Amino acid sequence: MGDSQYSFSLTTFSPSGKLVQIEHALTAVGSGQTSLGIKAVNGVVIATEKKLPSILVDETSVQKIQSLTPNIGVVYSGMGPDSRVLVRKSRKQAEQYYRLYKEPIPVTQLVRETATVMQEFTQSGGVRPFGVSLLVAGYDDKGPQLYQVDPSGSYFSWKASAMGKNVSNAKAFLEKRYTEDMELDDAVHTAILTLKEGFEGQISGKNIEIGVIDSKRIFKVLSPSEVEDYLQEVE
Amino acid sequence: MSRGSGGGYDRHITIFSPEGRLYQVEYAFKAVKAAGVTSIGVRGKDSVCVVTQKKVPDKLLDQTSVTLLFPITKYLGLLATGITADARALVQQARNEAAEFRFRYGYEMPVDVLARWIADKSQVYTQHAYMRPLGVVAMILGIDEEKGPQLFKCDPAGHFFGHKATSAGGKEQEAINFLEKKMKNDPEFTYEETVQTAISALQSVLQEDFKASEIEVGVVRKEDQVFKVLSTDEIDEHLTAISERD
Repeated sequence: MGDSQYSFSLTTFSPSGKLVQIEHALTAVGSGQTSLGIKAVNGVVIATEKKLPSILVDETSVQKIQSLTPNIGVVYSGMGPDSRVLVRKSRKQAEQYYRLYKEPIPVTQLVRETATVMQEFTQSGGVRPFGVSLLVAGYDDKGPQLYQVDPSGSYFSWKASAMGKNVSNAKAFLEKRYTEDMELDDAVHTAILTLKEGFEGQISGKNIEIGVIDSKRIFKVLSPSEVEDYLQEVE
Repeated sequence: MSRGSGGGYDRHITIFSPEGRLYQVEYAFKAVKAAGVTSIGVRGKDSVCVVTQKKVPDKLLDQTSVTLLFPITKYLGLLATGITADARALVQQARNEAAEFRFRYGYEMPVDVLARWIADKSQVYTQHAYMRPLGVVAMILGIDEEKGPQLFKCDPAGHFFGHKATSAGGKEQEAINFLEKKMKNDPEFTYEETVQTAISALQSVLQEDFKASEIEVGVVRKEDQVFKVLSTDEIDEHLTAISERD
C-alpha cells in the first residue's frame, strides 16, 4: 500500500472522535443480504440468502460461502467483490502458516490475521475500508468456533450471530431459539427458520446457501438438493 | 460533525458515502449507459453469442477500426460496453494475463478464471483511491472443458456472474426483460436459435431493423471451440432468417 499520491489515510477522525468511513462501511454491510451463523456442540453452521439480480443469472456460477482451509469456512454480508479479496488473502495466510509450522492454522489465528488486513485498510494511505462483515466458522483442536469480523477489524467469538439487512429480527429470533446443548442438525434447522423469518418470496435450495462443519472437521457447502431436504424437514 | 460526509470527497474518489455507497462506482455504471450502445449476450446448448451496436460517429472513420468485440485468446472473446478507451486498456491487460496463464500453467485460461481476474482488478479500483473504476462492462465468452458454453459479465463494481443471457449498456433493462421472457423455461437453443435470439433481442429493444454493417456479432461454438467474429455476409444470413421467420 502507500499508493503514489495518496500517502495519507482517507479514514480520519471526526471532531467527535469517530472514524466515519468505518461507520459508512458498516452501513454498507447493513444493506447487504442477510447471513447468519450458529455454533452447536458438535459443529458450526453458516447460512446466507442468495438473491440474484435476475433469473438470467446462472446460480451455479455463484458461491457466496467459501472455504478458507479444509476445516474453516466463511460467509459475508455486504460487498461481494470486497469479500473475494479477503478470501484470497486469508487462504494465502493459511497456507503460509502451514508451510512454516507444518500444522493447519488454528481458527483464532486465521481470524486474527484476516482482521489485521481489514484494520490495515482503515489506516493505510489511499484505500477505503472493506464493505463486508465476515462470519468465520471452523473446527479445530479447541472445538467448533464461530467468529464475526467487522470492517473496522474488530472480531468476537459468537454462539450465534447474524449480519445484513435483517440483523435485528434475526438476532432476536436466534436469542430466543439458541440453546447451549444444540446439536448440528438442530442448528441447521434453526438457521433455516431464521432466514425464513425475513425472507421475501419463496425460499428454496436455489436462493439460500448453507455451509456446515462437524466433528470430522471438513467444511462443506450443501448442494441445493441437500438444502431442499432440510427445508422439507423444517416444513 | 463537520466531516460527516467525508468532506465531499465521497463523490470524487472511491470512499464510502454516509449511506454506505460508493458514488464513483455508481457513476462508472452511468458512464456505461451514457455511451449509448446496447449489447446482448445469449448462451445456448452448445454455443454462446454476443451482439452489439456498431456506432460509427463519422463517415470518414475507417469502420473496420471501430470495434468493441475483441478476441482475448483463440478461444476467449470479450465484448466491452462503455468507454472505448477503458475497454482497450482492459483488453490489453486481459490478453497479457491470458497469455501468461497459458505459459505458466500449460493449459488455456478458462472463461471463469478470466472473468474472475477482470472482476478482481475492477474491485481494486473501487478500493484504492489512486485509480478510478473503469467505465466498462465486459462480457466474456468461451467454451469450458467441463461446463460447456459459458457467458460471464463483469462490471465496474467488481461483480461477476455466469449468465444464461444478459445485456449491458443504454437499453440494458428493456433487453433483460425481453430475454427473461425468452429464457423462462430454460430452453436449450441451437446455434442458429442462439444467434437469432440475441439479434432479435437487440432489434426489439432498439425498435428498428438494422443492416448487417450496423452490428457486431461474436460467437463461440462447442464444435470448433474458437472465438469468431461473424462477417457481414454471415450476419446478413441470420438477419434474413429472422425476417423470414417473422
